[in-house]
Amino acid sequence: MQLRCQQDQLHRGLSAVSRAVPARTVLPITGHVLLEAEGGHVKLSATDAETIAITYTIDAAVAQPGSITLPSRLLSDFVATLPREEITITLAERSRQASLSCARNDASIGGMDPDEFPPIPPVQGTGAVQVEPERLRTALEHVVFAAATDDSRPVLTGVHFAVGPESIRLATADGFRLAVYTLELAQSGLERDVIVPARALAELARLLPEAAQPVTMTVNTAQTQVLFDLGHATLIANLIQGTFPNYQQLIPASSTMRSEVAVGEFKQAVRLASIFARDGSGIVRLIASPGTGGQPGKLMVTARADEVGNNEAVIDALVAGDEARIAFNSRYLIEVLNVLTTDRVAIETTSPSSPGVVRPVGDDRYVHVVMPMFVEW
Amino acid sequence: MCANRLTTGAAPRFPTRIAHCDLDTFFVAVERLRDPQLVGKPVLVGGRGPRSVVASASYEARAFGCHSAQPMAQALRACPEATVVPPDFTRYRAASEAFHALLRDASPAVESVGLDEAFADLTGLGADGMGARATAEAIRARVRAELGLAVSIGIAGGRTTAKVTSDRAKPDGLLDVPAGGDAAFLAPLPLRELPLAGPRLVERLALAGVRTIGQVAVLDAGWLVRQFGAAGHALSERARGIDATPVRGVPRAPVSVSREVTFGEDVRDPVLLDRVLEGHAERIGADLRRAGRRARTVMLKVRWLDFTTVTRSHTLARPAQSTAQLAAVGRALRAELVAREGERPVRLIGLAATNLVDEALQLRLEERATPRDERLDRALDAIRERYGGAAVRRGARSRGRG
Repeated sequence: MQLRCQQDQLHRGLSAVSRAVPARTVLPITGHVLLEAEGGHVKLSATDAETIAITYTIDAAVAQPGSITLPSRLLSDFVATLPREEITITLAERSRQASLSCARNDASIGGMDPDEFPPIPPVQGTGAVQVEPERLRTALEHVVFAAATDDSRPVLTGVHFAVGPESIRLATADGFRLAVYTLELAQSGLERDVIVPARALAELARLLPEAAQPVTMTVNTAQTQVLFDLGHATLIANLIQGTFPNYQQLIPASSTMRSEVAVGEFKQAVRLASIFARDGSGIVRLIASPGTGGQPGKLMVTARADEVGNNEAVIDALVAGDEARIAFNSRYLIEVLNVLTTDRVAIETTSPSSPGVVRPVGDDRYVHVVMPMFVEW
Repeated sequence: MCANRLTTGAAPRFPTRIAHCDLDTFFVAVERLRDPQLVGKPVLVGGRGPRSVVASASYEARAFGCHSAQPMAQALRACPEATVVPPDFTRYRAASEAFHALLRDASPAVESVGLDEAFADLTGLGADGMGARATAEAIRARVRAELGLAVSIGIAGGRTTAKVTSDRAKPDGLLDVPAGGDAAFLAPLPLRELPLAGPRLVERLALAGVRTIGQVAVLDAGWLVRQFGAAGHALSERARGIDATPVRGVPRAPVSVSREVTFGEDVRDPVLLDRVLEGHAERIGADLRRAGRRARTVMLKVRWLDFTTVTRSHTLARPAQSTAQLAAVGRALRAELVAREGERPVRLIGLAATNLVDEALQLRLEERATPRDERLDRALDAIRERYGGAAVRRGARSRGRG
């Protein structure tokens, strides 16, 4: 194998695929990146051999085709530190020792037999759906953060994709909150419900800004794998098997109070309160009062810390309905406010112990349900 | 000066006056109210079992060398004619609450440091702002008249000196160290009277010829820090009568709540041990609910017959407060311990709730109200609050399990 490629391209490719490499490996080869040189390209692949595989193809002048696996961490760190010049990678016939040279730096890195690299199976399905990368990234950002991070209910560690003829509804729930985003499609060649690991989608979201063409999503016939094809890069994930909870019934159909506020102001108030809430389970209390006699309504955001002090901020709000009080974990509020792209947001509540609903004003694609904290008022 | 308080604008600053109020032989005094025949006789409060210790000894018994924390058997050898009274904590707690309530009437900031002692901030009291002594006299008179108890009070410029002073005021006395006179008052006293000075520290300083608090006061603070670390710094300041630790009017939120019991005879019956753990859980749960806290971690403590002590703890994903949950974790930890070490005779078994957090509970999506066992706990707490601890019991505990 012999090839020449650009340092910045190889660096970008390695950073993309190395995200699939597990932090700790039982199988040494999963700590490696597979390089396959052919035609005018080098294809880089990495996988944890469990849930995710990422490939990334870069341009290269291939003098002699071939393949090798090299330790991901060492190779990435080395390439990242090289100057932005041309890199030559050479591998002698039947050798496992690759030489890399760039400018006046030379290195020799020991690799492993590419045939031992875990096979990344082709994902072939009966239908596919195409999505604009930027719109997919926005959708993912709205839901991925609300997926569960502990494994007690594996289905909750994934994003539920309900792919219909005209939309994909993405949903996550971690037991305390629920995020649902409806992504409209021009057309869909796929109608299917699948659960994709949130971790894989977080990696996909990182790759999307580079994508120049629509992303193709394919589910294999056995419904065990999903492929996201970005053109220069692909991400394959094993689907999570199981039944996602019927979340529609968890979205309250009505409320007794609706409070509309500016996202920026609200986020600032919650951030300030969260500093005080740090010692006390992160509790932020909201008290909404409707306006009276021409006065605007207001939303009070408060927090207190045992023995230290308290914080109180009042922001203008359009409050419809009754005066209401409800307490939330500040982290949950900040995380949802961080992903909103609208200027204003509405909070809807019914009682201090029933779910609160967060909706971006003027954007009905998204709804977020967050359970309150039960506190003594 | 008054580093420990906020003074408003041009208000005159009064010298800090801290009172340490300590009830004399508290348990004994309460028992004498119940049974006046005990007055004037040597009395020991405590159990009679082979492992019992003295919880409180009357001055008459102290004359024979008896003291609290001494094994009962040893105390009785020293003073065989002493009357032994089993402790009645319900009564002591009631008297203690009345005592603290009375202190709070007299001072805006009262910090309890035990059933029978408390610090009270008397700074700036009285018409001229200099009424600390008069206030303390009034406290002593009310405690005597309304509770029938003797309280010794020491007044000084800081907590440490006040504590030393109240010890010196006993029995039934009042001692007021003039403002600014803390260091001079402490100087001639033996070092061991300073609460900070533990026996090892006293011993080490004695080797250097240092025996009084005044001798410590003139030692180089840097040398003390090098010798004893942070404790050396505190020691130097306290010895010089410097102590700006405020009296905390608001009680600190508890950091942990625990219950343990030492058996009169070693126990190896698993049903009984679990029952005891459930009893601990019941009391810990009630304490947590009263304090508005939840426990992240539950810890089991077991002391075997050979005095080796083992602890096992479990950290919960969701902080717990309910008796049922605490008991379940306690039983599971014991089962885990038994699986590892076998069912061995147990001398002591205890349960602790630690890592306490604010009681607020993050509700789950699929649950719309407080969990059922927590509502049950609150109902039981309310009944006990009104009718006493024995008014209701859980089925499993009164009938025995299985």
